[in-house]
Amino acid sequence: MTEAEIKRALHEWIVKASGRIRPEELTDETMIFEKRIITSLQGLDFVLYMESLIGKNIDIQNLTLHDFRNVNAIYREVLGKLL
Amino acid sequence: MNDLAAIVEKLCASSRKGFSDPHAAVEWPANLDRDQWFMSPDLISLQGLPAYDALPESDRRTLSFHEVVNFFSLVLNGEKFLIQGLTQRLYREDLGGLTPYLHHMIDEENKHMIYFGEFCTRYAGKVYPDKKLSVPRDYAPGEEDFLFFARAVIFEDIVDAVNIRLAGDDRVCPTVRRINRIHHEDESRHLAFGRALLREMFGERAPGWSPETLSRVREHLSAYMAAAWKEYCNPSAYRDAGLPNSYQLYEEALASSPAARRRRELSARCVGFLVQSGILLQEPVL
Repeated sequence: MTEAEIKRALHEWIVKASGRIRPEELTDETMIFEKRIITSLQGLDFVLYMESLIGKNIDIQNLTLHDFRNVNAIYREVLGKLL
Repeated sequence: MNDLAAIVEKLCASSRKGFSDPHAAVEWPANLDRDQWFMSPDLISLQGLPAYDALPESDRRTLSFHEVVNFFSLVLNGEKFLIQGLTQRLYREDLGGLTPYLHHMIDEENKHMIYFGEFCTRYAGKVYPDKKLSVPRDYAPGEEDFLFFARAVIFEDIVDAVNIRLAGDDRVCPTVRRINRIHHEDESRHLAFGRALLREMFGERAPGWSPETLSRVREHLSAYMAAAWKEYCNPSAYRDAGLPNSYQLYEEALASSPAARRRRELSARCVGFLVQSGILLQEPVL
């Protein structure tokens, strides 16, 4: 998957899982946990979905919530490094 | 002496009486015959899915091994979190009467982690990691402690329901049954403590919470119970069992009617307590 495809997939997942934001309101810089668009209890689902996108395990122990703060950070700090 | 203090005293005496050596409590065979059930067939997370029905029995037994490693891993990870929270609450003046029993809980949870960790590392070579994300938030007075102990009761009650089934299933590997039996014996005390504590805390604190806080607490606990069950399904375990399309299987397991029935059945005791005590107003969607 390309960077654009991964980011588009993340957008779609966030909008569907949240139910609290419209697609046009979500940008690559929207703070998804800080604004409680995604809750901590949805975090596991979100991580497993990201793993399914790239076909690799994500080692959460070496990451912080800051690395998942928005779509750009997720790609730059997490997924992009595993591709 | 109030009800909770009497229960704490009784449970402390029971824990002292049942004090055990975790390194002697379980015999660890050098190898386990993999052609046996490690998880009860009816408790396997994929049971009821077409992909599961299509598997030969030998592959189902292989899957049952990885499922029990996932179950033991999620319990171990949950107990790590529990011990952190219990330790933070030791010797707090406002929770002072609880400290003697918190010491026993920490000791017993540590012993459980030894059993679960030993099984996973000895026979599977790994513990499946915790992949939950922790998001800090603000709390109303008394809300954070209440949610901590409520999540602990929900987690322990669901795990205990599975422990009871596994411990009593003659088809399941004896080592797995033994670990589940030991865990159940300690968890029975932890649950008695947790339920008494929650009743007291809710009675004292909920009247001071705003309707928004009370609603948020109930919403959180319902969502927590649903989220706790998601850990029961793990794409990595399916992959390790040699099954293709592991994430799709995860989604199917979460959505399937047989799995939903199993979740409701195994959560019934816990939901009954939460609703009867007024903590929840209705059964969560599981």
